[in-house]
Amino acid sequence: MFKSIKATAIAVLTILLFAVTASAQSTTGTVNMSATVSKFVEINSGGAVTLSGNSGGGVTTDGTANNPLSVVVNLGELGPSNTSNFVTANVPLKLRSNAAYSMTMVASVTGSGTTANKVGAADVGFGLGSISRTGVGVATGTDTNATAGDPTLPAHGGVNATSGRYEFTGTRSSLASFATSTAALSGPSIMNAVPRSNTNGLTVPAIFAVKPQFFENGTTSITVTFTVAAP
Amino acid sequence: MRSNTYSILFLTFLLFIGGLGSTWAQTFDISSGGAPTITGNVGGSVTGSSSNTSNLAVSINFGEVSPSNTNNIVRVMVPIAIRSLDEYKVTATVTGATNVNVQALQRSDIGFGVTNMRRTGILSRDCENHTIAALFNRNPATSVTIASNGRAANPSSLNNLNSSTTILSGPPLSWLLASRLGSNAWIFDANFVVTPQFYASGTMSATIIFTISAGPTVPCS
Repeated sequence: MFKSIKATAIAVLTILLFAVTASAQSTTGTVNMSATVSKFVEINSGGAVTLSGNSGGGVTTDGTANNPLSVVVNLGELGPSNTSNFVTANVPLKLRSNAAYSMTMVASVTGSGTTANKVGAADVGFGLGSISRTGVGVATGTDTNATAGDPTLPAHGGVNATSGRYEFTGTRSSLASFATSTAALSGPSIMNAVPRSNTNGLTVPAIFAVKPQFFENGTTSITVTFTVAAP
Repeated sequence: MRSNTYSILFLTFLLFIGGLGSTWAQTFDISSGGAPTITGNVGGSVTGSSSNTSNLAVSINFGEVSPSNTNNIVRVMVPIAIRSLDEYKVTATVTGATNVNVQALQRSDIGFGVTNMRRTGILSRDCENHTIAALFNRNPATSVTIASNGRAANPSSLNNLNSSTTILSGPPLSWLLASRLGSNAWIFDANFVVTPQFYASGTMSATIIFTISAGPTVPCS
């Protein structure tokens, strides 16, 4: 009996000692939390490239929707043997952002020609087509297209009465306007609060056009880089 | 005679303990239940004591939750230890995490759930009939759905803690003392999740206060 009481007393005393050493108590506890949402913008392919009016040539590396934009197009023959009014490449772009955005473009045109009759930046028409903000999760908003739009429209170009050369005359309607990084499109936030797995966004076609003419023979290489930023 | 003397001394000792209990110990206690963890984060962190006898004082930084965080979800698990000599309830209340821009991170975007109620040792009472409030009885990381507007939706979130809300209740938790011993608590995990999305840019901060107090009568079973 005595041993039992003694053992119990020792056990309770031990517990008490623990209690003394850890007697702090509280009926409340706090969890503080924070998070950051940085400005986010991206540009991807909006889908397959379409090429029309071409003679020879073709889409070498096509665009795949929602994948990085990296397309290669061979416009084919641009001399008078191509009897089409225009060789036109339509490159769909897809933009997404959680903040106001600005898309700029820079282009370079180089070739084997050595005279003023070679294909130059001013001979490559450019414009952004119809801007679409559709689909679940895409915010409404008014975008500003800094280009004249489809460069093949009669209102955006014509034959120079003096030189006889076809000229793109609309606002920023040829690559000559993009020798340095130049604004092409801007607008308010594109996306509502939806996960990245939502594949909707703002889509817009980048339209490139060349009027087949008596250009100096040779080859021409055109490189265009689009950049989207959140100012 | 000698046995009676020891018995009297022992009874006095027990009374002494009782006196200490009323002097030093409350009936309820809440503390850290161990080291909190974070997964799926980019630039985030979580700090808190790994000892279940330390105060519950946790700081969570979810980090980047814009789409530049390509993880499906950022999850933080905070173990919380509770002790009581009587029936108890645990309530939670949130402040902060409000934004007038509905596209910004809101309380409803921070999922919350309670999981994994467990004993810590021999001085945790073996009553198993603890009740996690049905709304919060879930792992929020696996409960996210996509609403018709495309936004990730949490069935239970901080938006459900706008006022003091019971998240857990039950029978007495501890034997003898509700003071902080390593073995007299029950521990549950408070889970917080955020799905990275195209939220409007900015920052969010919030505070959640967990409180343990007397709860509804719940016989131990």
